[in-house]
Amino acid sequence: MIIQTKNISKRFGELIALDRVSFEVEKGEVVVIIGPSGSGKSSLLRCLNGLERVDSGEIIIDGIKLDKDKKSIHKVREEIGMVFQDFNLFPHLSVLGNLCLAQKVVRKRDEQTSEKTSLELLKKVGLLDKKNSFPSQLSGGQQQRVAIARALAMNPKIMLFDEPTSALDPEMIGEVLEVMKVLAQEGMTMLVVTHEIGFAREVADKIIFMDQGKIIEEGQTEVILNSPQNPRTIAFLSKVLK
Amino acid sequence: MPLQEILYWISSQFLILKNILFFLAPAIPMTIKLTLVSFTFALFLGFLVGIARLSKNKLIKSLSKIYIDMIRGIPLLVQIFFIYFGLGKVLNLDRFLAGVIAIGVCYSAYLAEIIRAGIQAIHRGQYQAALSLGMTPYQTMRYVILPQSFRIIIPPVANEFIASLKDSSLVSIIGLRELTRAGREYYSQYFVDFHTWLVVGIIYLAMTLSLSRLVSFLEKKYKVHGYGIQH
Repeated sequence: MIIQTKNISKRFGELIALDRVSFEVEKGEVVVIIGPSGSGKSSLLRCLNGLERVDSGEIIIDGIKLDKDKKSIHKVREEIGMVFQDFNLFPHLSVLGNLCLAQKVVRKRDEQTSEKTSLELLKKVGLLDKKNSFPSQLSGGQQQRVAIARALAMNPKIMLFDEPTSALDPEMIGEVLEVMKVLAQEGMTMLVVTHEIGFAREVADKIIFMDQGKIIEEGQTEVILNSPQNPRTIAFLSKVLK
Repeated sequence: MPLQEILYWISSQFLILKNILFFLAPAIPMTIKLTLVSFTFALFLGFLVGIARLSKNKLIKSLSKIYIDMIRGIPLLVQIFFIYFGLGKVLNLDRFLAGVIAIGVCYSAYLAEIIRAGIQAIHRGQYQAALSLGMTPYQTMRYVILPQSFRIIIPPVANEFIASLKDSSLVSIIGLRELTRAGREYYSQYFVDFHTWLVVGIIYLAMTLSLSRLVSFLEKKYKVHGYGIQH
């Protein structure tokens, strides 16, 4: 079990973002989390790498228990890469600079090693020719591919994707999903919050449906998509599959 | 009036202006030195207070807020009097040091607010991206946030620098012989007020205008690719 959560809850004032959520992810599994907006999907991802702190419950990542201790949060973050909806590339650094920064200051790699890793990854996401460009010179799809490469440069064991294609123009969604498919085929453990049901059908091992901070239904991809049991899952899927 | 007299009058005017300029010139370096030293001090102090304003520690946060409110609420002239005549007597401060402390402390309050705003202007996503890559809060500040804030704060900080150059004239009141003080000395010897203050004004103007030029040059030089037009 590379990810384990037990009864995690999180409130933002009055709003209950997560309500006693428990689930497990095996190494190499691709899990897609779906659900209406405000259902707690993003909060769940943010809790897993300590960007948000849970109010109660337990999170264990690759054997490390995530608690208030800063060292454990730090250790866990080194294991987990995260890709955001709005890319969050560093605008003052070139593409190469974006990829190299954390390798140098966190992993303490030297200039040469980090550059070599970066170039290999840029090749992988098909953006080697953009290594000296700045984020503002790239399209949304290109920026998101750089963001994926930047996270991969830290050699994470788990990748979290928080609606990676929601901010993209329709014609750019494909290129980002393509990169993610390759990653999944290579055996990366992935947690993906997305509305791309087609992607889920093709890549996901497991689907989790969330609503109002709770896991309503979870199971194998085909089972959830073809014969959902819970009325809320049925209602949601009938809307997104329309 | 015959032409000869007009020409004589004009040349005498220039002679007066030239005399004033020669009299004032030795005091210009003191104005520059006072401004540079006190503004450097203000930047250093303002940075600390600006960071303190953003602290999660409530005591540090409210102390820095009180500091800013107090300093901004008291006229610089009064602060100069207080530091030179009040504290200066106890701590044995000379005029220059008293001036540096007064201007430095006063401007640190304004700079702190500018620096705070510059840091807060950076989108939350930048912190999250940096932290999720495993960077510590310090590394996030140092490599991701501050380099971006720096560009935002150059113009307002430059404004403060120019303002502090002008405000350095207030230190003349405690007898430091900088440009304005030298102007008063010349006036009290020769009683040509129009010419004296005209020349003093022009010298200040020349300094502030060259600074503005320097700032726009720096802004262009440190401009980052498409910064501000993300996506």
